[in-house]
Amino acid sequence: MKFWTGCIVAVLVMTSAAAAEAKTLVFCSEGNPEALNPQIVTTTTGLNAARPMFNQLVEFVPGSTRIRPALARSWEVSPDGTEYIFHLRDDVQFHSSDDFTPTRPLNADDVLFSLERQWKQDHPFHAVSGAQYAYFKDMGMPELLKSIEKIDDMTIRIRLTRPEAPFLADLAMPFNSILSAEYAAQQLENGTPERLDEEPIGTGPFTFDSFQKDVAVRYQVFPDYWEGQQPIETLVFSITPNPAVRLTKLKAGECHVMAFPNPSDAQRISDDPNLKLMQQEGFNIGYLALNTSRPPFDDVRVRRAINMAIDKQAIIDGAYGGAGKAAKNPIPPTLWSYNDDIEDYPYDPAQAQRLLAEAGYPNGFETDLWYMPVSRPYNPDAKRVAELIQTDLSRIGVRANLVTREWSDYRTALQNGEHSMALYGWTGDNGDPDNFLNVLLGCTASRIGGNNVARWCDEDFDALVSRAKLTYDQEIRERLYREAQEIFKREAPWVPIAHSVVFMASRDEVDGFRMDPLGRHPFDHVDLKY
Amino acid sequence: MRITYRVFLVGGIPIAIAAAIAAVAWILLNEAERARDGAVLAGSTYRNLLVAMTARDEYVNAPPADRETFAERFRTYSTAARDDIEKLIVVARAPELRESATGANEALTRYVDSMADFMEATVRNDRLVEEMVARAALLVALTDEARERQRASNADIISTLRDRDAAFRRIRSLVNAAEELRSAVSATELRAAMLMISPPDARDDIRLKLGFDIGRFRNAAARLSEILAEYDPHAVAELQTLAQDYDTVITGIVEDDGPADGAAADSRLELEGSHISEWSDRIVKVKTSEQRALYEEIAQLVGYSVAANETERAAQNVAIEVLELGQRTTVALGERDPEATATILAESAPMPQIVASLPISPLIQSEMIDAIDQWREGLATATEGLRRQNERIADMDRAAVTMIDGARALNDLFTADADLIGKTIGNILIFGAAAGLLFGAVTGYFVARSITRPLLRVQQGMVALARDPQAGPIADADRADELGEMARAANFFVAEIGKREQDLRQAKERADTALEDLQRAQADLIQAEKLASLGQLVAGIAHEINTPVGIALTTGTQLEEEVRRFNATAESGQLKKSQLQKFVARMREGSRLLYVNLSRAAELVHSFKQVAADQASGERRRFQMHRWLEELMTSLGPALRKSRHEVTIECRDGLEVDTYPGALSQVLTNLVMNALTHAYGEDQSGHMTVAVSEPRRDTVRIVFSDDGRGINPADLNRVFDPFFTTGRSLGSTGLGLHIVYNLVTGLLQGKIDVESTPGQGTRFIIELPAAVEDVRAEPVRVEA
Repeated sequence: MKFWTGCIVAVLVMTSAAAAEAKTLVFCSEGNPEALNPQIVTTTTGLNAARPMFNQLVEFVPGSTRIRPALARSWEVSPDGTEYIFHLRDDVQFHSSDDFTPTRPLNADDVLFSLERQWKQDHPFHAVSGAQYAYFKDMGMPELLKSIEKIDDMTIRIRLTRPEAPFLADLAMPFNSILSAEYAAQQLENGTPERLDEEPIGTGPFTFDSFQKDVAVRYQVFPDYWEGQQPIETLVFSITPNPAVRLTKLKAGECHVMAFPNPSDAQRISDDPNLKLMQQEGFNIGYLALNTSRPPFDDVRVRRAINMAIDKQAIIDGAYGGAGKAAKNPIPPTLWSYNDDIEDYPYDPAQAQRLLAEAGYPNGFETDLWYMPVSRPYNPDAKRVAELIQTDLSRIGVRANLVTREWSDYRTALQNGEHSMALYGWTGDNGDPDNFLNVLLGCTASRIGGNNVARWCDEDFDALVSRAKLTYDQEIRERLYREAQEIFKREAPWVPIAHSVVFMASRDEVDGFRMDPLGRHPFDHVDLKY
Repeated sequence: MRITYRVFLVGGIPIAIAAAIAAVAWILLNEAERARDGAVLAGSTYRNLLVAMTARDEYVNAPPADRETFAERFRTYSTAARDDIEKLIVVARAPELRESATGANEALTRYVDSMADFMEATVRNDRLVEEMVARAALLVALTDEARERQRASNADIISTLRDRDAAFRRIRSLVNAAEELRSAVSATELRAAMLMISPPDARDDIRLKLGFDIGRFRNAAARLSEILAEYDPHAVAELQTLAQDYDTVITGIVEDDGPADGAAADSRLELEGSHISEWSDRIVKVKTSEQRALYEEIAQLVGYSVAANETERAAQNVAIEVLELGQRTTVALGERDPEATATILAESAPMPQIVASLPISPLIQSEMIDAIDQWREGLATATEGLRRQNERIADMDRAAVTMIDGARALNDLFTADADLIGKTIGNILIFGAAAGLLFGAVTGYFVARSITRPLLRVQQGMVALARDPQAGPIADADRADELGEMARAANFFVAEIGKREQDLRQAKERADTALEDLQRAQADLIQAEKLASLGQLVAGIAHEINTPVGIALTTGTQLEEEVRRFNATAESGQLKKSQLQKFVARMREGSRLLYVNLSRAAELVHSFKQVAADQASGERRRFQMHRWLEELMTSLGPALRKSRHEVTIECRDGLEVDTYPGALSQVLTNLVMNALTHAYGEDQSGHMTVAVSEPRRDTVRIVFSDDGRGINPADLNRVFDPFFTTGRSLGSTGLGLHIVYNLVTGLLQGKIDVESTPGQGTRFIIELPAAVEDVRAEPVRVEA
């Protein structure tokens, strides 16, 4: 009996020890991810929610835009820059779930599957989940790719139609995450192919546990992660759209890391000994996109009038809490090729009125103004920005009705061109000007479903950014991009508003969480140390 | 055949039969012993099994912590039962008994194995249950933790709300002040314009009003500055510059008596006015949006707080539900009801889903789900374990039926076996004894006949010889057996008798003569003894009487002398009156002395006469015991006085007896004399008691006791024998107590007993009838 008692005590001790060890890290995220498959999401919220579960062939060194090996342990590029050979790691395991147990480690089939699903329209998964592959398309991948071949199980050859300077950076982007071909085949066989996107299986440090809309996305640690098991056992993205509520939760210990605190709370956070405030010059642009495909914004005079009617400084002082700077170009000033010679439109409501009158709207007009319902790194309070803009526009007779959507639908609505004016923004995710200028303003992206929500397609501009992609000569590229920025300024498809300072806050016990210039929230190597 | 052999035959056959019976009985008794041992073992097995089964039941129903006691008891008793059964197998006589025992052993093995399984399952289940309790406790702890966080959060929210509210109010006053400034500027501008366009005679009035407008503007600017000063000194500086510029312009307009360049002043005023208006517009714009944002924030925080509290309550509900389920589970487990636990398991199935769907704090949600999952897993396992346990219990119960039946059957079988053997032994003994008896009787009869017939002839021969010793020798003297020897011996004997008879006759005659002499001598001795006591009596009497008679004689002599002297005096004629008086006195004295002493003597004589008469007469009479005793003691006085001993008489007054006082006095005299002679040493002064009591109606008990040296226990039963004495050297005859005995048991019709403790004294206890029966015969037999 004594022996048993001992055992029971031991078991209990072990159990409680295990309970104490089970570390749960809660991240108070700002909104619902629109999906959990990085192939079909484009918001940073969605990308960040998918990120813990996936890897790409190559990846950015954390905190920078440099490339390093990931699932591909090495690669070779042909001298002409159109052929890439990737050698895969042979020790990468996929997650398993209740209804899927991988029978093999990652191999070339998975790479093939992941790229071809997005690329080939006749791929059995191409149409699954109504996927648009906006990113893949916006990055010009369909035109860029010539062929993808499996040389052997661990070797892949990718041929390009042309040299593509940011190709490796493209591959490091979330939409090029590697999914399990085996899992996809199993789901297809089961007649439930959409589960590939709903209950993702990846190779990342955390496995998918559950997603409850408006509540949380939950992950469990993946013990067989190829880079080693993470210190955090359970990772939760607690969906909390309001920054004040996020801060309250952070202070109460209900979450450990919070996204985008209100800039006006920055001082309070840094004064709190239990909290850590992180801030970073944003690699981003917050803007007001003017839907150039519909009147009155098809008229450049109207667009310029709007540009002149908005008091950016008031917005930065008010909504950004001073944590940002007024933007004049579509790319952040820290990005190479930023054209600082460009002069912004002045804040001049009188001139704006004159331009409007000239364009045939002497009494102004009525329009809609969309704003994001959640905090964004490039715009901490879009509603307030919208209100300020609304007030400014009222002075030139433009009556803007404020419109918003649920965050996971917002982007889709914009990509579908439902708006006239819409607040939006972008955080660069590969450190290349192309990632802004082409993805957000190129003609490819201006289609329905594209990321160019101003629906602006300027042939000269597009020619410049397209040309810039073809060369590896940074000087030429820079020149082309600077020129493109001039065209952008002249044509004014946006009102660039601000490059924000991005804030993140965490509890003091969080160890290893770093802000990322590309707006990612990586939780690998993060630990809780009490 | 010799009689020895025949007798041997007669005696030997039953002995042989008895021996055979004994041998068989011995064997059977051994068997019976084994059977009885078996029965005892079977009984013990049965009892041990029952105790083991009870221990199992107690184990099943005991709380986990107490189980080991019952497990231990179960092990002890099941082992004991097994030992018993194994012994039984050895002891079992018949194969069916062995089979039965083996069967019971197998059943027991199954039972014990099942129990081992059961205990293992129970330990596992108990552990599970403990774990489940721990899980439920963990859930509660988790929700408590969450509630604690929630409480802190609520406090934080309240303080944040207070901050936000303060900010909200500040912004409103700021917006109000900014709007007031704007209105003041508009009013001032309007008034200034009126000043410029109005006729000079109206100007004073307008100027006066403009002064108030300026005052209003200044007040508004000051108020706005004041509010802004708290948190935006930069804006205050901006405002002050703008206000200053405006103030300068407007003051210039007021002071100039008719502005030199009206249009220029007006446009300057308008410019400054628009600056300050725009500036305050901007303040209003920004602050209004901030106000709205704050309002939304407050709403969100309140909403969050409400939602969080609801969530926390939901978490609490889950915990409570789990606790409730836990309690039900405990009951179900306690009742060993796997159906109930299965129901609970089914009921709890949606719980992880519910917890997962609730917006419970993610910090505890997975732990709660895990705890519930593990709790449910535990419950499922426990249910399975319970089923298994119950199966085991059923197994055991089945085995128990077999086992207990087996044990009972064993018990019955062994008992029956023992009974059977007992009966067999009885029968063998009865039949053997009967057969032995019969056979012995028949053999005895014939053997007896073969002996008695010749014996009869010998007897007849001997009877004939007895009638006539000369009848001739007994027949059968020629026989070879003991009868022949007997006949020969008888013949020899008869011949011898004939020769010795003559000698015997002569010897007898001599003996008869000697006996007569002896008897005479004894009577003489007794008479002498009696005389001796009489002599003692006479000596006593003489002594007693001697004194008074002596005194009387002396007195008489003295009186005679006095008379003679008085007579001489009287004759001389010289008699004086005084001499006469003196003589009379002396005569009176003398005559009194004479009287007293002679009375005493007479009295003594009377007494002695009575005692002597008693002794001498042997008359029976009725007398007062007490007085009689005192008279007797008086008569013994000299002997007693001589020896410093004393005799106490204890007797109630008025006790009358009707007996032979002479014999009784001799008895008591002899006892006293015996005591004086033997009981005391030279210098001792003893104390003797004659105590008379009436133990019953018509019976008088006289206890004579002394406190002397007592009688040696070896001599005690010989004291009444004639001539027995320890003091022959002192001249004792050894007849005193013999006479006492004879008198008491004879004439006095009573009985006598003696008790003595050496060193403490001797008691003679005499019991006499209060009235002797009237058998007047010889007074004393010994006297005859």
